[in-house]
Formats: sequence, structure tokens, C-alpha cells
Amino acid sequence: MPARWIVVVGAGPAGMAAAIEAHKRGCRVTVLDEAPLPGGQIYRQSAAAAKPREFAEPGEIARKKRLLEEFAQARPIDYRAGVAVYAVFGNREVHVAQGERTEVLCPDAVVLATGVRENAIPFPGWTTPGVMYAGGAQAILKSQGVLPGRRIVVAGCGPLPMVVAAQMLRAGGTVEALAILSPMSRMLRRLTGLWRGREILLEGLRYLQTIRGAGVTRLPRHVVTHAIGGRRLEAVVLSRIGRDGKPVRGTERELACDLLALNYGFTANSELAAMAGAQLKFERTGGGWVPAADRFGRTSAEGIFVAGDCAGLRGALVAEAEGRIVGAAAAGAADLEHELREALWRRSNHQAFQAAVRATFDLPPALWSIVTDDTIVCRCENVKFAEIRQAFQSGHVTPNAVKRNARPGMGWCAGRTCLRAIGELSEFCTGAAQAETMTARPMARPVSFAALSNQTRAAS
Amino acid sequence: MSANGKKVDVLIVGAGAYGLSCAWWMARKRTGASIMVVDQGEFASGASGRNGAGFRMQWGLEMNIRLCQESIRFFENAAEELDYPRGIDLKQDGYLVLAHSEKAYANLRTAVATQQGLGVPSEMLDADECVKMVPALGRNRLVGGSYCARDGSASPFLWLDALLKACRREKVDVRYGTRVHGIRKNGAGFSAMLNEDEIEAYRVLLCVDWAAPELLASLGVELPVVSLPKEAIVTVPCEPKVRPILISLEHHISVNQVNRGSIIFVVSRAREGSEVRSTPDFLAFAAPRVIDLLPGVADVPVLRTWGGVSSLTPDMQPILGQTEVEGLYVAVSSYRGFMTSPAVGRMMAALILDDDTNDPILSKLGPRRFQTGDLISEPLLNQA
Repeated sequence: MPARWIVVVGAGPAGMAAAIEAHKRGCRVTVLDEAPLPGGQIYRQSAAAAKPREFAEPGEIARKKRLLEEFAQARPIDYRAGVAVYAVFGNREVHVAQGERTEVLCPDAVVLATGVRENAIPFPGWTTPGVMYAGGAQAILKSQGVLPGRRIVVAGCGPLPMVVAAQMLRAGGTVEALAILSPMSRMLRRLTGLWRGREILLEGLRYLQTIRGAGVTRLPRHVVTHAIGGRRLEAVVLSRIGRDGKPVRGTERELACDLLALNYGFTANSELAAMAGAQLKFERTGGGWVPAADRFGRTSAEGIFVAGDCAGLRGALVAEAEGRIVGAAAAGAADLEHELREALWRRSNHQAFQAAVRATFDLPPALWSIVTDDTIVCRCENVKFAEIRQAFQSGHVTPNAVKRNARPGMGWCAGRTCLRAIGELSEFCTGAAQAETMTARPMARPVSFAALSNQTRAAS
Repeated sequence: MSANGKKVDVLIVGAGAYGLSCAWWMARKRTGASIMVVDQGEFASGASGRNGAGFRMQWGLEMNIRLCQESIRFFENAAEELDYPRGIDLKQDGYLVLAHSEKAYANLRTAVATQQGLGVPSEMLDADECVKMVPALGRNRLVGGSYCARDGSASPFLWLDALLKACRREKVDVRYGTRVHGIRKNGAGFSAMLNEDEIEAYRVLLCVDWAAPELLASLGVELPVVSLPKEAIVTVPCEPKVRPILISLEHHISVNQVNRGSIIFVVSRAREGSEVRSTPDFLAFAAPRVIDLLPGVADVPVLRTWGGVSSLTPDMQPILGQTEVEGLYVAVSSYRGFMTSPAVGRMMAALILDDDTNDPILSKLGPRRFQTGDLISEPLLNQA
């Protein structure tokens, strides 16, 4: 009998761990990843010959090194860097573009470990060059070792802004202010979780020390209401959030800066799972529309598994533990509960900490009141909020209906940027709970006709 | 808002291009007739929101030419007629029907003669002239084509939105997410089950295309309509490559580069079902055919694919008229619902509200032609 063939999409912690585990169990394993090197977002590696300095905590650097080494040693794995999976179908066909050709892989099981992207929350001026995702700014630092700005304002919610502010400081940047929407003290409501994540918590406290030591202005419960600048960011306006969740008049302050690094939480990259027919569920602080899966990553689509953040925000530690569980399940391990007892236990420990972290991702709904009629919501199709509001008023409230009415989500990025905001804006403006998301269709990434007609198939 | 126990003069099932256009033409007669339109999906979620957006007067049959002549005149004035200042993204950059065999070319020549006789400004082009007009075209087997500068495209989404707003202004009750579970005869009229509500309607018009036979079955009416799935491709915006809309009857592909620069390809492929999901092997099927037709787009990235379902009748012509049950009407587009909807709306409104049975086109397209065997054949169809 030929070995079972597992295709893993994504080479972050979850994808690497899944591949390692499936390989360990004698499966033929293919890993498909967009980046030039494995690691994903969190364990991103620099492709430069001279590796730039790392500004992360030693604990994180050690975890990254250990997993990357383990992945490198798991051979043979058919690891393909710099390729784009543009479609996954319910029959487990994985369509991948690699340069000027495409290949259709027909494995026995697919593990989707596609991670998350940062939430884009529109506000006046958010498309000004110099306004970046905090994780995006961090990625530049990780991969190139350079600061994407000199005078930096970091804002948002959850732990990432704090981490990014500290790393920017360690790299020699000036952080003008750190504005956090929800106080990190919310984590104190889940003490067990904090205890279980004490190792990570200590890393967090050391980042906080860096920030304190540099004397950075901290603006708790503040939100960016305006980015000012034409061809380049010049300043940002921040306001304090009142008890009603809205910016309080008279509390505005303008800060000169050339980089605004923002993180308002994350959205799961669930498009491929949805395309394959997996049922989705809505988790507001856990990534929005995420594939519903059981403890072993099995979705409602047969043979389609999900692991890590793409199944709902989990963080790198849960992702790695879960990758091992899902990799084993996809490999067809018989007695999962027994065999995976240790990994399941480890995951549940990390999950308790993540639950504490999630509490800090709660966004005040009135954040959406900052959006003005002139604010661009869909950058690809240049759709302003006024057009979207008119669609809501005409009774088109679901993302599919708004898309057909005003075109947001029809452009280059296929809605990856604006879709989340449209769902939240719809709920904020109409009061109707989000009942569905936009239909996921091929292509998850654009591919030329030439590459599509230069296609081969590989079956197990 | 519950509809239980409601009575309406006309119930239209289906809020696509046909359903909304028929409703608007009825409402604008201001006869006082109450009109309700129900659709099981949401706005533009059916075939009308999934089509290739083109319209043309270049057909072989006089009735098809006339239907489209009238409709295009309406599209040209839609912003004013429907009081929709934003307009419907009308683009009249012409339409080129390509022939890749001598026989197809001869068919086009005959059709152009008919078109010109009816005042359509169409003309024949040889292969060189076609390539000069669209340098991205391939010369493989290309013989020539027919061209009409007044044909073009409009946004189906904006067209539907304009109709919807105009209908609501005229107090038409348009309800989405409302499924019709069954229709039965009730005295002189009908009873229809909508979601959980039962309503009474004096007349019923089905504008659900390929789904009509299922609703008709409970009334004992048979209609020979089947579903025909189609799939479409849209590219990322690129520089102008295809100014007129193209259609190749041999490739079964139509091509429309819209104002934003994206190129839309609608590709027909013989298969069955009513599934609107994209099929796994579609792109591998379509891409080589697209490149054979238009080598100049080979390097353009595909942004998205989507599926739609159109209706297919035995003679590939619309079915418009009253069924054998009095008061029960159908309007089945047979694959041209968007481009013929203005004229069909007017005709059906006159038929249903004024009992005007004298329309020369409607009288040929009624559902009874399948019993009498008076089938019609249109030579210029992009059909697999």
C-alpha cells in the first residue's frame, strides 16, 4: 500500500508541527508556503545572507530555533517555498501556482494552517503611506533588520502593540506613544490562564520593562481617530475613549510621527477552508469567521483539516501543539485520545492562557463611529463608506449583498482587507447580527492564464 | 413583516432582471394593482447577478433583434427612465461576433443582412480587420466577424439596484429571503405559501427561469426548461486589451473588458445541474481556450471565478406568456435575461395587466409552442 499523502498549506508553527508529525507516522508529506523560508509570521526568518539581529525575547527565539530545526531534520518532506495555493476543493484537490506553471495535488488529506492576518479598521487617513499593521512593521524588522520609521506611534489592542513598541525601541526607534484600547489588566480576570502562561507572561513583562525604561508616553483607552499627511504620514490624532466606547470630545491630541503601527486584532485566513466547503462559525475576538472543527482539526469537509490560528486565534504555542495533534489525525492515527494525550494536555494549557489574552481583543463597537462618509473602506475598488452606508440603507446588509451593491471585496485582495470591516460596520449600522460572510471563491491568489494552462496533476 | 393572509393582484416569483423589470413596468401603469415580488435569495444572488453583463442586437432572428433593439434603447436612457442618477455603467464600445469557420462566417453574413434590414448598424469584418480592432486576438482559424458599435455592456448589479429602487418607489412590495413553497389554484386566483405565510394572488408570474418547472408541477403544468450551469472568470484590472465585447461561437466564450479594466470571460461547457460553485477542473478547461482565442491575455492574472446557472429551452428561445392555467404566467429567459429584460418587462406587463395578446413577439414565444411544435431556432448563440 502506498504511503498516505498529506498536503499541508502554510509553514508557520502549526503547519510545520503538522508536517513533522505526519512525516513521523510514515506519511508522504508536502508543505506549501508563500514565504521564501519556513516560519510563518511569528517565526519569520530573514532571507538575507547576513541575518539581521533579533529583537524578540530569548524564550521566543529559542522556541523558534527548536521548531525550525526539527522541521529541517524531518526529511524527506516535499517542502515548496514561494508557491501560492489559489484554490482548495471539497474533493481535496489543492491547486498551487509555482512560477509560470500550476499543479493540482490530489492527496488523501489536506491540513490548512494558513494563519491569520491583521484586522484593517478604517478611519480617516488610514490609507496614508506610513500607516502600517503592527505585525507588518514587525515583519520588516524581522526579515530586513530595518526600522520602517523613525518616530513611531503604536496603537491598537491585545499584546502585539506592546511587543512591537518594545522591539522598535530595541532596534533604535523612537516610540512617541503607545495607545492601548483595552487595558491589559483585563487578563487578570482569568488568573488560571495567566498562571498557565506564566512563561509567556514574563516575556511580556520584559517587553513592558523596555517600554517603561524608554519613558514612552502610554495612552491607555486611547484610539487613533485620524492620520494626517499626504504622500507620507506626518502626524496622528488620538482621542480617549469614554465609557460609552466613543471618543471623548476635547481629549484629542496630535502627535508628529512618520510611522503608525496598528493592530486591532486578527482575522483568520479561512478562505481556503470555506472554498473547500468547510462550515464556518463566527468568533468575534478569535478571528471572525473561522472553520468549525473538532478537537482533532476535522472540518465538515471530509479530509480537510485545520490547525493553528486559521481555525481561530490561538497564538504560536497553541498552534504548535495543535499542529502535532492535527498532523497525527490527518495521518490517520488510530487511537487519537490516547496517543495524543500529552499534546492535547499541552494545548489545553496554552489555550487557557490564550483565553485570557483574547479578553484584551474586545473592541468597543463605537470604534466604528470614527468612520466618516469619505473614509475609504475598500482600497482595491476605492469604495467609500458613504456608498456602503447607502447599501445598508437599501436593505443590503450581508457582505455578499453589499459586495454586489457597492463592489467592496471585488478587487485585488479579494476582500481580505475590507471584508471584516464590512461585517462589523453592517452590525454597527443596522444592528443585525452577522449571519454569514462573503462566499469564498477561487482564486485565493491571482494566477495568469498562461500558468493555469500549463498545469500538471499529481495523485497519490 | 408577516404577509400572512395578504391579498395581492400580482405575485411575481423571482427578483432577477425579469422579475423586477416586469414589476416596474406593471407598477408604472398606475392601475392601482398591488404587486409583490418575492425571491428566495438576497439581492442579485441569482442568475441576473452572475451573468457576463453584455448586450447585443446582433442576432439572426428578427424577434431577438427587436427584443434587444428595444432593450438597448431603454438601457441608454435607464438613468432618466428609472430616476437613477448614478447610471448603470453603460458602455457602448461595440460587440464583435467572431467566426472561426467559413460556415460560421456565412451565418454571420446572413444575420447581418437581417440586422441591417431592421436598422441595426452592424457590419462584416474580415480577419485582418478583427485583429486590427483587437490586437490581442489570435489568428488560429479566424475567418472574420460581425461588428455593431452600439452593442455593449452595463452593470447587472446597478441595473438590478436601479430597478429595485424604482419598484419600491412605486410601492411594489419586494421581499428577499422569501421562498415560495407551493402554489395552488384558489377560486379565480391562487394561494401561495411564502416561508410560513399563506397569501392570495389574483395572478402569478414566475420569473425563476430554470426553477419554474418545480413550482409549475404542483399546478399540473409542464414546461420544458432545464438548468445550464456556466462559469465565469474575471481578471485583475489591466490596460485596455479588448475594447469591443467579443464572442466566439466556436470557443463558447464571451469576453468583456469593463471600465475598471478587469476582463470578464463567460465560458460555456456542456454539463448538467444547478450548482453555482466553481468546479475544480474549470480553470484547466477554460485557460487554454482563452489563450487560443486571445493570446494577448495569456499573462493577465485571473482574480476570481464564479458560477451561475442559466435556463435552457428546447429551441433556446425565451418562454413568455400565459400557461394553460388561466392567470398563471411564466417568463423564462433562456440565457438572455439581463439583455432582454427591459422589453420583456414591458410586454409582460401589457399582457398581464391589459390582457394585450397582440404583441407579435410574445405570440411566438408562448409556452404552448412546445405542444404545437412551432419551435424557433437562433443561429448566433454562445452555447456549448
